[in-house]
Amino acid sequence: MNAMIERGFARRRFMDAVATVALWTAAIAVIAMLLLFVGYLFYLGAGSVSWHFLTGFPSELQAGGGVGPEIFNSFYILILTLIFTLPIALAAGIYLQEYATTGWFRALVQFSAESLATVPSIVMGLFGLLVFVQTLHWGFSALSGALTLTVLNLPSLMRVAQEALATVPRTYREASTALGATKWQTITRGVLPSAIGPLTTGIVLISGRIFGETAALIFTAGTSVSHGASAYDFNPFHTAETLAVHLWYTHSEALIPDVDRVGNGSAVVLLAVVLLFNIAARVVGRGLTLRFTGKAV
Amino acid sequence: MEAEDGDEHAALKRSTLTEKHAAAAHRRERIAVALLQACSGVFIVAIGLLIAYLTVEGTRLFFTDHKTVAEFLFSPTYSPETGQVGALPFIIGSLAITAFAVLVGGPFGVAVGVFFSELAPKPVAAMMKPAVEVLVGIPSVVYGWLGLTLLVPLIRAATHAPGFGLLAAGIVLSIMILPTVITLSEDALRAVPLTLREGSLALGATRWQTIRRVLLPAASSGLTVAVILGIARAIGETMAVQLVIGNSPTLPRGLLNSASALPTQIVMDMGGAATGSLLQHTLFSMALLLLLIAMALIVAVRFTLRSRA
Repeated sequence: MNAMIERGFARRRFMDAVATVALWTAAIAVIAMLLLFVGYLFYLGAGSVSWHFLTGFPSELQAGGGVGPEIFNSFYILILTLIFTLPIALAAGIYLQEYATTGWFRALVQFSAESLATVPSIVMGLFGLLVFVQTLHWGFSALSGALTLTVLNLPSLMRVAQEALATVPRTYREASTALGATKWQTITRGVLPSAIGPLTTGIVLISGRIFGETAALIFTAGTSVSHGASAYDFNPFHTAETLAVHLWYTHSEALIPDVDRVGNGSAVVLLAVVLLFNIAARVVGRGLTLRFTGKAV
Repeated sequence: MEAEDGDEHAALKRSTLTEKHAAAAHRRERIAVALLQACSGVFIVAIGLLIAYLTVEGTRLFFTDHKTVAEFLFSPTYSPETGQVGALPFIIGSLAITAFAVLVGGPFGVAVGVFFSELAPKPVAAMMKPAVEVLVGIPSVVYGWLGLTLLVPLIRAATHAPGFGLLAAGIVLSIMILPTVITLSEDALRAVPLTLREGSLALGATRWQTIRRVLLPAASSGLTVAVILGIARAIGETMAVQLVIGNSPTLPRGLLNSASALPTQIVMDMGGAATGSLLQHTLFSMALLLLLIAMALIVAVRFTLRSRA
């Protein structure tokens, strides 16, 4: 009897040890995978990236093209998207988190946001094609692309706003209200500054995702850079191929002989920008939180 | 006497000023609320328009071209140039790679979620969290490029098949759904009350027994949601899959066969589809199907969460 109990005990201890090792292995595998991806892409891209590649014009038939205008377009569309998305997403986040905390309107907005968040980005791209490119006759353009990305990213940015506001203690709001401030004054002068850290972190992280978006842009922003006076074109109605689209397009459709070089270079630049955004999100978020709330995180 | 008058006058002036201020603040409040409400309404309008546009364009195949829904869903022949609009190869392709991703990436993601919630020492968790966020941030086209230059040659070397196909796409998707599954399953486990852990450990259960017999069942609805949202991420993924799946619009016969999926076929063919053509209508029907699947998954999430409450 005693021996049996002890055997069972030993087996349970053994299973526990096995599980512990397995779970650690799974976690380490994820990190190893990420390091492999990053290391491999930098190794691949090292030979492709040069000043000429980063600033030069893309080539359509010969080898030796660069991605300067594509990098420009990626940032340009990112900025346009943020200009459209941020006010709406922030406002909706504030409304749901601070004002409409119950009720059918809130439920409907929340459900709409969740639905929008699961719409695949290629489907969003076709929606952009139908609305902005065709119905509004804006053609393949930076504006069509940016507005499509706006719809695509509204839900995630609203979530960021909601979560950032939720980090602010209720006592801040009560103290402000007790001083006679209206709700709007409380939010703009008390709650928002206290939430600025997580808010910024979230916005910068999502910016990284907007920068790399591809499927939603192919049929809205187009697959060629502007043929206007300059390929670095601020006209929002001109076609604006981004770096991510370029990476896909050169591989799938283009006629240049150095597809691998352009692809490797584009991939590593995309990765580098995403990594920079991730680091910046952390540093800036931490700095702002310290500045506005005095709390080190 | 005069001085007193002046004081009263000043006090009166002050109080009207304060009132004016208060009135202005309240006016601003009303305007602010109206604006906030309008911005929230944008979400409802956006999803409404999206559903409307895609329903109109996605049903032209049936109303304008008089194809049957049955042909679209169940015919294995996709050749819109000759009038055949079967989307079955893409439906099967999408289902196959999504199932692969969920079967491989799902358990793996949940395991890492368990690790974060139950095992990870604070400094390790602090180091790994940003790593998971980077995995989310890597653009899908870059995942595709990795698959194309790293995974496909590996599969080719191991199997002597071309390398492009369902297996490559399934592996890429398994990796891409990881962050979603990891984060959500960690949240689900953290939501389990501490007392359940304490109770189990006090009964003499080991940590693994506690995880397997107490925590996983208690967090099952949250874990289900994690997997469903992983499915949602996988089924709509376009760029990464397109670069590695091989893009053959025929019924796949095995994991190593070149195939195609709903989103990848849209991205391949839409560029060359003339407005109003049968090809364009077929592609929009495929997009509508994707949208319906996404909506069904959201309803499934709602249902799962409600049944817990």
